[in-house]
Amino acid sequence: MAFFAARNLHKRFGSRVVLEDISLAFEKGQVSGIMGPNGAGKTTCFHVLTGLHKPDRGTIELEGVSIAGLPPQRIARLGVSRSFQIMNLFDDSVVIENVMLALPEFRARRLDFLGGVFERGELVDAAMNVLEQVGLTHRAWERATSLSYGERRALEIGVALAAQPKILFLDEPTSGLGTEATRGLATLIGRLRERYTIVMIEHDIRFLFGLADKISVIHWGQVIAEGTPAELQANKWVRRSALGEAAGA
Amino acid sequence: MVDLLPHILNGLTLGLLFALIALGFTMIVGVMEIINLAHGSLFALGAYFALSMLGGSWFGDTAFGAWWLSLSVETRYVAALFVGPLLAAIAGMALELCLRPTYGKAPLYGLLLTFGAALVIEEIIRLGWGTGEQNLAIPSAINGPVLVAGFIYSKYKFFAAGFSLLAIVAVWLFLEKTPYGAIIKAGAHDSEMVRALGYDLSKLRLLVFGFGAALAGLAGIVMVPIWGLRPHVGVDVVIPAFLIIVMGGIGSFWGAVAAALMVGLAVGITGAYAGAWATMSMYILLIVVVGFRSRGLFGRKSVLEN
Amino acid sequence: MISLSDIPSRSTVRHWVPIAVLALALAFAPWWLPTVGLYQYLGIEITIWMIFALGFNLLFGYAGLHSFGHGAYLGIGAYAFGLFQQQVAVSLWGGLAAAIFAAGLAGAVVGAFISHRRGIYYALLTIAFGQVFWFTSMKLHGITGGEDGLLGIPRPPLTFFGLEFSLRDNLALFYLSAFCLLATVLILWRLVHSPFGRVLQALRQNETRARFAGYEVWRFKWAAFVISAMFAGLAGGLFSMAQQSAYPDVMSLHQSGLIVMMVLVGGGLVGFWGPVFGVILYFVTRDVLGGITETWLLWFGLMFMAMVILRPEGLAGMFHLAWNRLRGARAVSTPLTSEPDLAGRKT
Repeated sequence: MAFFAARNLHKRFGSRVVLEDISLAFEKGQVSGIMGPNGAGKTTCFHVLTGLHKPDRGTIELEGVSIAGLPPQRIARLGVSRSFQIMNLFDDSVVIENVMLALPEFRARRLDFLGGVFERGELVDAAMNVLEQVGLTHRAWERATSLSYGERRALEIGVALAAQPKILFLDEPTSGLGTEATRGLATLIGRLRERYTIVMIEHDIRFLFGLADKISVIHWGQVIAEGTPAELQANKWVRRSALGEAAGA
Repeated sequence: MVDLLPHILNGLTLGLLFALIALGFTMIVGVMEIINLAHGSLFALGAYFALSMLGGSWFGDTAFGAWWLSLSVETRYVAALFVGPLLAAIAGMALELCLRPTYGKAPLYGLLLTFGAALVIEEIIRLGWGTGEQNLAIPSAINGPVLVAGFIYSKYKFFAAGFSLLAIVAVWLFLEKTPYGAIIKAGAHDSEMVRALGYDLSKLRLLVFGFGAALAGLAGIVMVPIWGLRPHVGVDVVIPAFLIIVMGGIGSFWGAVAAALMVGLAVGITGAYAGAWATMSMYILLIVVVGFRSRGLFGRKSVLEN
Repeated sequence: MISLSDIPSRSTVRHWVPIAVLALALAFAPWWLPTVGLYQYLGIEITIWMIFALGFNLLFGYAGLHSFGHGAYLGIGAYAFGLFQQQVAVSLWGGLAAAIFAAGLAGAVVGAFISHRRGIYYALLTIAFGQVFWFTSMKLHGITGGEDGLLGIPRPPLTFFGLEFSLRDNLALFYLSAFCLLATVLILWRLVHSPFGRVLQALRQNETRARFAGYEVWRFKWAAFVISAMFAGLAGGLFSMAQQSAYPDVMSLHQSGLIVMMVLVGGGLVGFWGPVFGVILYFVTRDVLGGITETWLLWFGLMFMAMVILRPEGLAGMFHLAWNRLRGARAVSTPLTSEPDLAGRKT
């Protein structure tokens, strides 16, 4: 049984079918990739897997437990965490608070009316721990809006990590990053893969092929190819759609 | 069944007037993407301006004033029907100018500003015209009872319904058949596009605001004999206007008209069974429509959701 | 611009200074109020509205939920207090408990309808509910006394461990009201600095992110509404004692609008004490400017509009800026890097 498995997912918006009979499986401890041209349904797929949209048909299971149709906050509490392509941060708040809010131990205290939040050493420590993993400890007390784009991307990932997820979904993490920052991100994910199961949507083929153990190609709302980077490079369908050309053709 | 007829007629009359208000409201929302909480105040201003015009209180004891009052009620009424909305339009355009600094900022600021404007205008009305109930002098030709299907109905309400219908048709003709109308419609759809086509967006917004305000003011004048005239009469207008565009869709002409008739009928029929609660039915309808459904009756995500 | 999400200073002294200042000002109010030409009853009014405003800002400023119909809960509290005295028993604590409970209950019901929304839909629903409450209070003659309201509400004596104090004198009522205000400040201060308070602020900034971090967003929004309604109820109960009557007008859109104006002008969007400044400014305007001209409310409204455009950070924000300039501190945009961090680590 796969660690995280989606079977026969079907999703339509109005008259448009966006996902058609999609089945995906992600193994624990691996980095899985999802790629495909724009409008293929990748992001919608993510939205369905993480609970933003309900699938019309199909099942989604995390460690055998069905999560299809549950609201996003419940899926999140079950251990599914995600980052967004268009970043979703708490802009007014400082970096460390962004991360703190996502900590399960913080969330557990939500009915706690009595304490000052930043007086609790253990919460601050846990948050700093996360920031260390994404390399942002030097910016901990600055406002999220004052960070550079690359740093905000790292924070976006950090917030997703803070929840100590069983599986981490990253939606186009390199989006908008320059070469230098992309390299840094590749190193970061290289470190994270030792502790987390990661699923990534990416357009940057080199980036994806360099990190992923297995990649699914989605086109026209369906999975048209699946395999290791090496297998995909040999696949003529993948080669044919514009993506194939770039990947070591 | 016969007992319901006057209430249904009431409802339809009210619905047509609501349509007039809602059309101005939806045009403003379409072009500017703000909810004008002061729309009801513009409605009220139109009525109060007409009141002053008809009564000649502005002209006081001058020779002009004396001449003015010597004119027949009919002439003065017709003049008020033109000038009142015009003055409301000016007030609307002034409001648009005040709103300019809030464009591009969080929607909260436009909301607070129009809310503040609504309160300020209400205060101006209180200071300028007093807090009591007022009456508008209307020509005897449209005043009085009339016999309809065996019971007594109000001539004025027929006038109000007919006049509103004419106004609605006129607005439709304007939007469909004139170049200005086409620009407004395009602007309601996609204001960026309109700018790209070379039209001055700020002038367009100003005119649309003025036009929307004029429609509200016109409705205000016509509504007085039906709803009465007090400083806070405008408050009861924004809710049905908003409800109507939620139900009918933003920027949709016939959607607004259809929804307006539905809301009007709901109010009218409530009047048959629980007289005092007729106006409250609009509020309760809003709560039901917006409170229960996640996106209004038509389920379309709109610019209103930030 | 500074924001409510800024981390408060860790220094214990700075924490408690404003609260101590407030406590002292309240304790000695009966002496200094008359010297600035104001009167004792004003003190009661101001403390009542501060309770209302501070509770309201939990919803408006902190949670970013804009309610334009909050006067209804003040009114419900007032009616509940009055009805309790008339129908159940003449009791201070009973009456206040009834006021808080009734307003909280109304808030819970309304909150259930609106807490799945935000923004313009939320605002308009609050207006609609406010109007329904206002209209109802006018029509239910039998219970609420219709347009005239409830009259002749008594001021029950304050009984405390066997001791009894009469509240008929305005001075005594002022001290009770001031005590309630201090309690309100302490409770809300703790609340906004607790995890619950920080989550509310997170919701204001990004509901989606909060949802994906595992929070049941609508529950927090609902709770914020209920809590703010309860404080409004407390204010209402005190109000009905002060006026010895309860009437529909406090539920009108006009009154609901006043609290919004006070809170914004005072700086509730950026600072805990914003509502306090706003209330003071309103009453000073009413009594000082009102003594000069009948149009004072118009000017207050125009000032509100101007501030929405020019200075949405309100008085609290302006004071903060001025204070920083006085200290020669760096630009307000990065005030936090100069904050001492915990455990002595240098940032």
